[in-house]
Amino acid sequence: MTNKLQIKRALLLLGFLGLAFGGLICRLVYLQAWRHDELSALARENTQREFVQVPRRGDIRDVNGNILATSVSVKTVCADPTLIGNQQAVVAQALAPLLKMNEAALFQKLLPRAVVSKNESGETVTNISRYVRLAKNVPEETWQRVVMTMTNLAFGVDENKLSRTNRAFFRDLRQSAIFAEPDQMRIYPNGALASQVIGFPAAAETNVNGHLVSQIVGCDGVELAMNKALSGAAGWRLTETDRQQHEVVALRDEDVFARDGLNVVLTIDSAVQHIVETALADAMQKHTPRSITGVVMRPSTGEILAMVTLPNYDPNQPATITPETRNRVITDVVEPGSTFKIVVVSGALNNGAVKFNDQFNCEQGHFAFAGHILHDHEPFGTLSTEGIITKSSNIGAAKIGIKLGEQSLYDYAWNYGFGQRTGIPLPGEARGILYPVKKWSKVSIAQIPMGHGVAVTRLQMLMAMAAIANDGWLMRPMIVSRLEDHDGNVVQRYQPQCVRRVINETTDKLMIEALKTVATKDGTAEGAAMKNYVVAGKTGTAQKAENGVYVSGKYLSSFIGFFPADDPQICISVVMDEPKEGYYGGQVCGPVFRDIAERCASYLNIPPDPKLMTNASPMVAETTARKFQNP
Amino acid sequence: MAKNQKKQAAEIRFGPVLKVVLLCSLICGSAVGYVWQKNEIYKLGQFIRQRETRLTQLQNDNKRLADQLAILHSPVMLDQRGRELNLGLVPAQPAQVVRLDEPPPPDEKNPPRQFVQRPAAALTP
Repeated sequence: MTNKLQIKRALLLLGFLGLAFGGLICRLVYLQAWRHDELSALARENTQREFVQVPRRGDIRDVNGNILATSVSVKTVCADPTLIGNQQAVVAQALAPLLKMNEAALFQKLLPRAVVSKNESGETVTNISRYVRLAKNVPEETWQRVVMTMTNLAFGVDENKLSRTNRAFFRDLRQSAIFAEPDQMRIYPNGALASQVIGFPAAAETNVNGHLVSQIVGCDGVELAMNKALSGAAGWRLTETDRQQHEVVALRDEDVFARDGLNVVLTIDSAVQHIVETALADAMQKHTPRSITGVVMRPSTGEILAMVTLPNYDPNQPATITPETRNRVITDVVEPGSTFKIVVVSGALNNGAVKFNDQFNCEQGHFAFAGHILHDHEPFGTLSTEGIITKSSNIGAAKIGIKLGEQSLYDYAWNYGFGQRTGIPLPGEARGILYPVKKWSKVSIAQIPMGHGVAVTRLQMLMAMAAIANDGWLMRPMIVSRLEDHDGNVVQRYQPQCVRRVINETTDKLMIEALKTVATKDGTAEGAAMKNYVVAGKTGTAQKAENGVYVSGKYLSSFIGFFPADDPQICISVVMDEPKEGYYGGQVCGPVFRDIAERCASYLNIPPDPKLMTNASPMVAETTARKFQNP
Repeated sequence: MAKNQKKQAAEIRFGPVLKVVLLCSLICGSAVGYVWQKNEIYKLGQFIRQRETRLTQLQNDNKRLADQLAILHSPVMLDQRGRELNLGLVPAQPAQVVRLDEPPPPDEKNPPRQFVQRPAAALTP
């Protein structure tokens, strides 16, 4: 009897337990199998977090490693107005001096505001915004002071006497109401130095794996041209957080480090750049032109050591950027004037159309051709080919052009790189204008040799002169020397590139002999002559055209030259737009060239010409002469 | 016989008790160890996070100081400082520069012989 009762009870208990476990199993299957996808996604959403790691933008450095542009870590300070309650005044009073903000404006930002949005089912919902951006580009030190201030903030109440809820409110206000997001700020420590070459940045929000990330992007110059290399690649961290949103490091899943951007090392030498900017600023004061440009280049490699346009801008202050501050060396196309004579004369010498000692009648300054009268700046009688360069005779150059022929003139101009981009890796380079022969008028063959009817960039003109300084080889201009990682390891090195040989070596030597005479008493640029170096160069004075008509009193003056003439080390171009106090290229640009050249020669330690070392001590002159005899 | 059986049944059997105690200790110890280990993992995780934050901070500081140093060394800054301090520094004139000829590169096939490389016979006449 007892056994039966016990068995009955046991079965009953077993039945209950069976039902209970059965129910649990059913629930388990329902949750784990039936609703698996939905619930696992919800669980992941609650705990898993993906943090995007923004890469540090690479530096831009000069050829010697001096920093021209760099990125510093800063904070974007934000607030959660829902955690501030009615304490906006206290918080604003404490933070406004630190964030350098107006207290009233900060107070307004801290007020909770409604945000209307649509939920997943398309219904309009109103939420209180939990995110407001208070200040950008806040230095780390300032952020630390903000944290300290918030931690020690007093609200004028005895919190020990408050309820648990109120104590939690003040704790959350101090700890979480003000928070910061990591950010970067682009700094240009040298201010306006090489600003048009470096460019300027802007903040842009890019989508990285579905996350909007604030990044710096380049807007002009090297910042834009090398944006991909400078930007690097974003990393990410897939991890889990606890209730306080602290990362649980043990549950870190994926951790991919960001790859920082590469450092771009330019061919620009900041010392040379500084020399040119200082010299041009002095010339700007003296001649008050609309703009002035200067470029220094190594003719043998095409490396640009300095590229300056004034007026310029400070990339740290984007408000100073205007269309007037563009990089005119590559963007503006102008009639070059007499500097273009080097193309026709070298072409004619190379072609054999004229000889170096051929004589040309320069018609005493007036030459009628194809219904037009060509003029010289002063009347000349008979001039040799060399004399045409020395005196910069338009009529002489026109006659050489006529002897060379239209197609040959066009071919040489094209071979020197006119009418096409030089290939410098900077945005906004213009092609210039070189019409094909079929579009030429009858007078074009006489006008183009003197630099009319053709439009060039200042860089194209410099490259042509550099080709003469480089045994007739036209080089591609270089502005980027190499790419380095943040440890200084070279990732990519750019090599000088020859474009083509334009004239042969014999012609080149004759051209240099002719160009040497320009910076002499007989030439047009006596002011460009240097004390201890022989200079070869050419002046240019082009009347400016507006609305298709030449305007009197507005000139583009230039001098392009290189030194030492027999072993060219650097080639310099100086161009002024509408100078006052004189307008001839040799008169206004020649002395600026000399100033730049002498300071560059000293800085770059270029050996002087032994023939001109008149004031050197005997030991110096002897040593220098010996070196020149046995290079 | 029955007396003996009763006596035996009342006796404490230490063997099974010991086994139970050991088993319970093992289970409890494992549980406590598991919790302790989890706690340590969490603590170490927090420590790693702090160290990572500190490392990032130090790297940023290092970068900032390196940049400051580079800026102070830059030619533009040096030129400005030179002007501010009015030191009267000017570029050297070409005539003031003494240029010395570079010595010819050493011949690879016949390197200059050092004293110690001389044969022993040469040292002792």
